[in-house]
Amino acid sequence: MRPAPVPVLACLSRAALAGLAVACPAAVSAMALKVSVTDARGKPLPDAVVILEPAAGRLPVKPLAQVDIAQNKRQFDPQLTVITVGTPVNFPNFDTVRHQVYSFSPIKSFELKLYTGVPTAPVVFDKPGVAVLGCNIHDGMTAWVVVVDTPHYGRTTASGEVRIDGVAAGSYRLRAWHANVPDGSESAAQPLTVHHGDVSVRLQLPTAAP
Amino acid sequence: MRFSAASRPNGPAGPLGKVIHWLGHSLSGRIVALFLGLLLVVQAITFTAIRATIDRNARASIAKELEIGEKVLRRVLDQDTARREQGTRVVTLDYGFLDAVKSGDAITVRDALDNHRQRIGADFAALVDTRLQLIATLGGPPREALETVMNRMSVRAGINKPVNEFIVLGDRPLQLVMVPTRRTSAPGWVLMGFALDLEEIHQLLAIHVSLQVRGSPRSPWKTAASTLPPIDTWAQQMSDELMLYANPAGQLLALSQDDREYTARPVLLGDTEASGMSALLIRSVNDAVAPYRELQFGLGMATLLGVLVFGIGSVLTARHVTTPLRKLALAVERFGNGDYSTPLRGHDRNDEIGELAQSFESMRFSVARQQDQIRKLAYWDSLTGLPNRVQFRDALQAAIVAADRSGHSVSVIMLDLDRFKHVNDVLGYRFGDLMLKGVAERLANQAVRGRDLVARLAGDEFAVLLSDVNPSGDMAFTQSLAQRIDNALGGALVLEDQSVDMSASFGMAVWPHQAADADTLLNHAEVAMYAAKRGGHGPTLYDPELDATSARSLSMLSELRHAVDHGELRLYLQPKFALDGARIVGAEALMRWQHPQRGLVPPVEFIPFAEQTGFVRTLTLWIFEEALRQWPRLKDCGLEITLSVNLSTRDLLDVDLPQKFEALLVKYVVSADSFCLEITESAIMDDPERALSTLDRLSSLGFHLSIDDFGTGYSSLAYLKRLPVDELKIDKSFVLGMENDIDDARIVRSTIDLAHGLGLTVVAEGVENAQVWDLLRELSCDEAQGYHMARPMPATEFERWSSGWVLKQPSLGASGGPDAGLLLH
Repeated sequence: MRPAPVPVLACLSRAALAGLAVACPAAVSAMALKVSVTDARGKPLPDAVVILEPAAGRLPVKPLAQVDIAQNKRQFDPQLTVITVGTPVNFPNFDTVRHQVYSFSPIKSFELKLYTGVPTAPVVFDKPGVAVLGCNIHDGMTAWVVVVDTPHYGRTTASGEVRIDGVAAGSYRLRAWHANVPDGSESAAQPLTVHHGDVSVRLQLPTAAP
Repeated sequence: MRFSAASRPNGPAGPLGKVIHWLGHSLSGRIVALFLGLLLVVQAITFTAIRATIDRNARASIAKELEIGEKVLRRVLDQDTARREQGTRVVTLDYGFLDAVKSGDAITVRDALDNHRQRIGADFAALVDTRLQLIATLGGPPREALETVMNRMSVRAGINKPVNEFIVLGDRPLQLVMVPTRRTSAPGWVLMGFALDLEEIHQLLAIHVSLQVRGSPRSPWKTAASTLPPIDTWAQQMSDELMLYANPAGQLLALSQDDREYTARPVLLGDTEASGMSALLIRSVNDAVAPYRELQFGLGMATLLGVLVFGIGSVLTARHVTTPLRKLALAVERFGNGDYSTPLRGHDRNDEIGELAQSFESMRFSVARQQDQIRKLAYWDSLTGLPNRVQFRDALQAAIVAADRSGHSVSVIMLDLDRFKHVNDVLGYRFGDLMLKGVAERLANQAVRGRDLVARLAGDEFAVLLSDVNPSGDMAFTQSLAQRIDNALGGALVLEDQSVDMSASFGMAVWPHQAADADTLLNHAEVAMYAAKRGGHGPTLYDPELDATSARSLSMLSELRHAVDHGELRLYLQPKFALDGARIVGAEALMRWQHPQRGLVPPVEFIPFAEQTGFVRTLTLWIFEEALRQWPRLKDCGLEITLSVNLSTRDLLDVDLPQKFEALLVKYVVSADSFCLEITESAIMDDPERALSTLDRLSSLGFHLSIDDFGTGYSSLAYLKRLPVDELKIDKSFVLGMENDIDDARIVRSTIDLAHGLGLTVVAEGVENAQVWDLLRELSCDEAQGYHMARPMPATEFERWSSGWVLKQPSLGASGGPDAGLLLH
């Protein structure tokens, strides 16, 4: 598909295509997207979050069922959680010591004052983006919550690869996130068109040393 | 001549010159100079070595200090950096801060930031977003100034890790710390700036620090800040020297400023070689060396003091050594000048000098003793123990000086033993010595007053010194004393059962009458003594008349020689007659001396002298030769007579005499038996053996031999018997007295009989009248000689006279008186 010289036109055409895809789901086959992520040095990058978003519009996405980010042995477990928008997250504290979980991230600012056990209410992340969580007591406790607004997302394995299935053909924006990418130096999303057949993409992230 | 050990200095004059001269020439000076010189050399070497070591040590220690300084600086900076980074990082995790940032209230954010700034102790703080835009800032330089460095730092930074950099903004060296803030609502960076306090570092390290900056790795360093006062040339030097360096090896730089030396160690600050800041750790060499310099100075002072003390000590020691040496030298010089009586000091020391002094002292002692002995020998006669001539003379001189003052007279009595030589010959030298001792003893006993000096002047010559003689009657006193001594000596001396008759001749002289000084007085006494001896007188007082003869005798020898060479001697002949018939049978050859000034000198005035001096041999030869010349002439006149020549003792003892005579006989072609040689008894008896041998030889040559003055000397008939003599001549003393003295007559008769008995002819000398002639004729004497017949006459006249005698031939008997006309002189 040739990119339209005029972005407005491109957006329109994309929107049209997207509508087509939605209108006849059964008629369109789902492709797989294989993304291979490497770090700044070209090494396979595990725990990178790959997000595929339609170039235009928005795909419907459902919040996940309850997700737990536990505190165990003075660490968040897991340290990286990828959720969809609207997912409620619980923070059970399995440690005997109390933790005070907080986040000042713009997508979700919250504070769970010192507690043990399970807080009464979960925290709902209702904005897409990345939130960094910390414990007021323990400086070393850090957790990332990546909130995505698309059904197509994935997390790279140890080999730095992730497969996203059920991708209909169309134009998308592909981006990746990793904790080691310094703030403010995220690379822009990469446009991606899915035709028929699986797509393999390589991405390199400008990670910095931890 | 005095041999001085130290020669005159030629160098600079004045006290310095004297010191230099003393150091160079005298023993003590040289000792001092040597030791001082050695000490100075040793000290100089030590000093130099120490100084070099100090320098080396100081530099090494500085290098070490700088190395350590670098380590400490790095550690301090690292610690500070770690602290600051950590502190800054804490800010990014601080809930309150994060909360304040979330609030978005600028003042709150600023205050929260300031709060943390104060906690950390930063000089300024800033919060920037990911685009390095300022969110909040407190103090510090404007953003534009920081932008470059923030860009740089953000590139270097990690996700969570702080990053720091040293920069100089304005003139202030700073360390910036940047920490990413991930947990704030607005991610970005927290920036803290810390001013570097060089002074603190300087205090901590005691090392000067100079911060250097460069814009880029290739540009030269420039001094940004320094604890040392900034000076343009310094900066210039530094930038020239430190143009480009990486300096991984920690090389040191040497810098200097105003005569002060520095060592600098460049230390790269920051994390990489591309760092824009470095520090020069500077240590002043002068300061590092200063304490040692003080030490050195102290050492130098000590050295100087030591040298001074040592100098004084060695001077004293040297003097201690050389002063006694010098004293010894002076003492030895005294010896050289003849002073052996002053004792040496310093021989009570126990060391080598004491030994030397002791040796000298014992030498002095023995030399003084030897001197005494020599003096004794010089002044005393060893045989008799009496003072000798030298002492006598000195005493005489002293006596004259004293008498001159006191107005007394001084007398000298000189005596000579008669026939002493004879005694020596007859009885031996040992007896002679005993005799001399005996005389000495008798003389000593006879010295009338204690202070009269008796001395042995020579051989058999003695003298007595009478000092302090009363001027009135001094000559009479002297005379009487001399007489007394004469009497005392006159007796026989009995020595070892041998009795010897002693007699002496005495001569006296009195000062001031007969001489003005000592030598003249002695001389005059001697003259008087010889006059007494010759004349057979008693003690004779000096008379100037006597002097004439003695003065005469001084030149006698040369005059005699002159006489011989210039024909002043004359041959005189006195004829001898046969009593039977009054024929001329012979003539005695006699010598007369025609002195140009004195006229005819009688033999008695020079013959004895000639005998004493041995010149008589020359005279004898002369007369013999003259007689040899005369004999042919006489023969031609019909006088073939025997000529008699007198021989002296000396002639008899001359072993060459027969040869000489023989040579002359051959020369003049006359036979020996025309001659008769007359020898006195005493002449033979002086050395009988040798006389005998000579006489034998003469006899064998053909000479007739005759004993003259028979009866007056000591003779031995045994010898007489052995002598090859042909005739005896009776001494005139008997002939003269035979007329009136019955004993003399008897002696004459006995002698004639004796002679005839031994087969000898006999001649009577001294016939002075006809009566004696007749008497002799009666006694059968063979020949006669005397004034009655003829006196000695010049040889030239003898012929004329003899012809007259032959013609006239008067009666010589008592019947006829002596013919006076025949008495020719």
